Amino acid sequence: MKRKLISAIGVAGMMISLAACGGDNGDSGGKAGADGYAGQTLTVWVMDGSSPDQWQKDVAAAFEKKTKAKVKFEIQQWNGIQQKLTTALSEDNPPDVFEIGNTQTPAYAKTGGLADLADLKSEIGADWTESLNASSIYDGKQYAAPWYFANRVVLYNKKIWAEAGIKDTPRTRDEFYADLKQIGEKTDAEPLYLPGQNWYHFVGLTIGEGAELVKKDGDKYVSNLADPKIAAAMETYKKFQALSKAPKDKDEATPQQGEVFGKGNVGAFIGMGWEAGIAIKANPKIEKETGYFTIPGATADKPEGVFLGGSNLAVAAGSKKQELAKEFLRIALSDKYEGRLAKLNGVIPNKESLQTNLKGNAVAEAAAPAAAGGGTTPLIPEWAAVENAPNPIKTYMTAVLNGKSPAEAAEQVEGEFNKRLAQQQ
Amino acid sequence: MKRSLFGRLWPNVTAVALFIGFVFPVYWMFATAFKPTGDIISEDPVWFPTDVTFEHFERATGVDHFWTYVTNSLIVTLCAVVLALVIALAGSFALARMRFKGRRGFVIGFMLAQMAPWEVMIIAMYMIVRDASMLNSLVPLTVFYMMMILPFTILTLRGFVASVPRDLEEAAMVDGCTRAQAFRKVILPLLAPGLMSTSLFGFITAWNEFPLVLVLNKETEAQTLPLWLSSFQTAFGNDWGATMAASSLFAIPILILFVFLQRRAVSGLTAGAVKG
Amino acid sequence: MTVQTERPPSGPVDVVKRDESGPAGAGPRAASRLGALTPYLLLLPACAATVLLLGWPLLKDVLLSFQNLNMAQLIQHVTEWNGIDNYKEVLTGEDFWRVTLRSILFTAVNVVLTMILGALVGLLLARLGKRMRVTLMLGLVLAWAMPVVAATTVYQWLFAQRFGVVNWVLDKLGWHSMADYSWTSSQLSTFFVVTVLIVWQSIPFVAINLYAATTTIPGELYEAAALDGAGGWKSFTTVTLPFLRPFLYATTFLEIIWVFKAFVQVFAINGGGPDRLTEILPVYAYIEGVGNQHYGMGAAIAVLTILILLGLTAYYLRIVLKREEEEAGL
Repeated sequence: MKRKLISAIGVAGMMISLAACGGDNGDSGGKAGADGYAGQTLTVWVMDGSSPDQWQKDVAAAFEKKTKAKVKFEIQQWNGIQQKLTTALSEDNPPDVFEIGNTQTPAYAKTGGLADLADLKSEIGADWTESLNASSIYDGKQYAAPWYFANRVVLYNKKIWAEAGIKDTPRTRDEFYADLKQIGEKTDAEPLYLPGQNWYHFVGLTIGEGAELVKKDGDKYVSNLADPKIAAAMETYKKFQALSKAPKDKDEATPQQGEVFGKGNVGAFIGMGWEAGIAIKANPKIEKETGYFTIPGATADKPEGVFLGGSNLAVAAGSKKQELAKEFLRIALSDKYEGRLAKLNGVIPNKESLQTNLKGNAVAEAAAPAAAGGGTTPLIPEWAAVENAPNPIKTYMTAVLNGKSPAEAAEQVEGEFNKRLAQQQ
Repeated sequence: MKRSLFGRLWPNVTAVALFIGFVFPVYWMFATAFKPTGDIISEDPVWFPTDVTFEHFERATGVDHFWTYVTNSLIVTLCAVVLALVIALAGSFALARMRFKGRRGFVIGFMLAQMAPWEVMIIAMYMIVRDASMLNSLVPLTVFYMMMILPFTILTLRGFVASVPRDLEEAAMVDGCTRAQAFRKVILPLLAPGLMSTSLFGFITAWNEFPLVLVLNKETEAQTLPLWLSSFQTAFGNDWGATMAASSLFAIPILILFVFLQRRAVSGLTAGAVKG
Repeated sequence: MTVQTERPPSGPVDVVKRDESGPAGAGPRAASRLGALTPYLLLLPACAATVLLLGWPLLKDVLLSFQNLNMAQLIQHVTEWNGIDNYKEVLTGEDFWRVTLRSILFTAVNVVLTMILGALVGLLLARLGKRMRVTLMLGLVLAWAMPVVAATTVYQWLFAQRFGVVNWVLDKLGWHSMADYSWTSSQLSTFFVVTVLIVWQSIPFVAINLYAATTTIPGELYEAAALDGAGGWKSFTTVTLPFLRPFLYATTFLEIIWVFKAFVQVFAINGGGPDRLTEILPVYAYIEGVGNQHYGMGAAIAVLTILILLGLTAYYLRIVLKREEEEAGL
């Protein structure tokens, strides 16, 4: 026993010294030599589920062919991403390129952690859709490149809906509710999986009501949660949430709602089209049972308001491979690969000319009608702090779902909300 | 003799109830891990796993880099504990056996060090390691874990050293040993149980640590098992089979170590603390 | 006074005592000077490690607490001193004081519960027959050995809203409203789960060690007490309790430290929620500093947290200081 322990420690000691040496893998400068960028590796952070494996493989191959350098994709979780990104950007070896949520981009642009991409914009970004590019611009400068945009749809289990005897997908909020009720009565399935803190969906509902989350008070932004329109949005959320057995104090990623849906006992959930991929990964049989439809609004002619989520690609200001990073962006955002991502995931590409890729895509067709009425959270640097856990909007939602009136809940979180909006930068 | 029957009975009944109370969470973890999903999410709990499945374990170990986490955790924990024991042994010998100026100050100093709330100093530690260009390495983790357990180890070992009769040491020196030899040949063997029981605390602390590694090591190659367990739990939160399988795997090494060392461990773990 | 529960085998009986000078190599003078230095040399590695690995982060933390350090400053490595602004903001806000009060109450409840229940279990161990004792010990050791991260996960499963076994049992026992109860939905219920978890994990340490300590009480003490006509309770208060007092002090001290710093349990069970109502000081410091990326503020809270912990344990540290003084002639 003793001898074994000692030898284990010996090995351990050796491995430590090896690990200590493994840190720097020759990132000497970012200039292309005679042999292109051979021997270099570009690190790219992408969010979990946002780009399919095949897409990553193809882009990596094209990138290697053009530059002789390798690319390493590292998958990140949304949960805690700001804390991780902030520290990473302060390090010697930050991720060279990273995906960053559109609502978080202004705050990071302000920190100086993002490289200026003005030249790239004039080179490949002349026809980027202006509204989608808005979040990447701060103080008149281009700090990121728009990558993809998407809004939530309803993903439903066709088998369960058929079992409940429902033929058509709903066209109004009331029909939707009635259908879900019917599923609850006629099948053993949970009609809807809607955790209490799917706050992106809630933001969509507030956009549908024409409400703003913050308002200006002098030169400061303050909470606008007490607005009756916000309360109306929350009442809608609450009504539907009551149909779900999902926890009232968790968001859609804990657990991943796609995982839950994949078990095959959930009628529907509200999510990104690509979340079907998570379900299919967990249970391949669910693929042919999964369908999509636009989140129905109050009336048949106007779909529900949606949050236009999206991601930009940014280059770390501290990256020593600026040129190589831009090479990567040229490839990843090229019409070929940008178009393919749109096609594979059913997301809105950064150029209108690429929207042809969405033809026949079930997800995109379900998402498109609502996109026109979509919106975002306020695109101000102050906003990022609001999204840090514990997000006061999530707290507000759980409070209402647990029985507080929207007005009471708004008052409860107002202090925290305002504190974060006023947080010293 | 009613009373004496009752008098004999109640301690045993209480003991059984307590035993169940303490063991049940551990049992339930293992039981859930081996049950098929259908039995886990059933309206009435299935108390004993009847058809055993390993699918949850497969899922838990199937995560990318699982074995990297295992190796890293083992390396960091073992190195931290051994380092702490060596350093602490020297210090505790001085504190227990020698008279010198400032001894009291050292004891109080280590007691204060023992109170350090490490979790709140994370960002300071992060900045130090970052500015030393030591991120994504196991070395800072090892030395910080060593430091987290060092004060407790010194204070506890001090009690054990003090409990070794002075006569033995003197006798050895009479027989011609130097003080160092006497220490190695006489005191060290007697201290073995003390060393083992003290190391248990270190094992648990280092094995469990998670806020620091989360901030310091972003590269999976340098991450440890607690991160694996917590990320697993976030993603598969309601997949209790897989989560419990992961928890079981995480707990097993420590459980084995404890049960194996328990007899030595329980006798006098506080000896040092009480003394200090 | 020392409780020594480890009894080493007795050494050779007939030892001829001689002067304590080893085989002389150097002159006696040099040897004695070296001898005077030895304790310091032996303590050097431990002290160096403490200064470097604890002292440095601590100093850094204090320095950070006087800075305006947020995302931008961290990313650009800029140092912006802002004097005592962080402290002013923390100390004038009501959050901090609320959290401090909560932390102290939380620590008190957990420590008192752990000590009382732990002591009772320890005394029970002493009364049990051998087989039963070994069985109960095994159970205690298993609970004690559960790594915190795994234990918190298991408790989340036990107290899960759906299919959690605790809710099922409560439902069967007649509390039907508990069938789908969410334990993380309110402050009290979250604290309840955390407390059960902490007490469950801490009792074994107290119980097993208290049992070990009782086995070292010399039987003569009880005989003498019996001669004086002391009954069960009397002999407990006159013999057992005084004998165990230093042990109880030391264990309480350790428990206070451990419970006060119970970051992982509180954070993992409910992230300090709902609505930040279960944040204790370390969690509050973490959420304000790292979570909210307001690092200077977090550092200031950290410094205050350390001061409060020092205050809580000052009484015990004073006792130790006194005792070491008495023992100076070791």
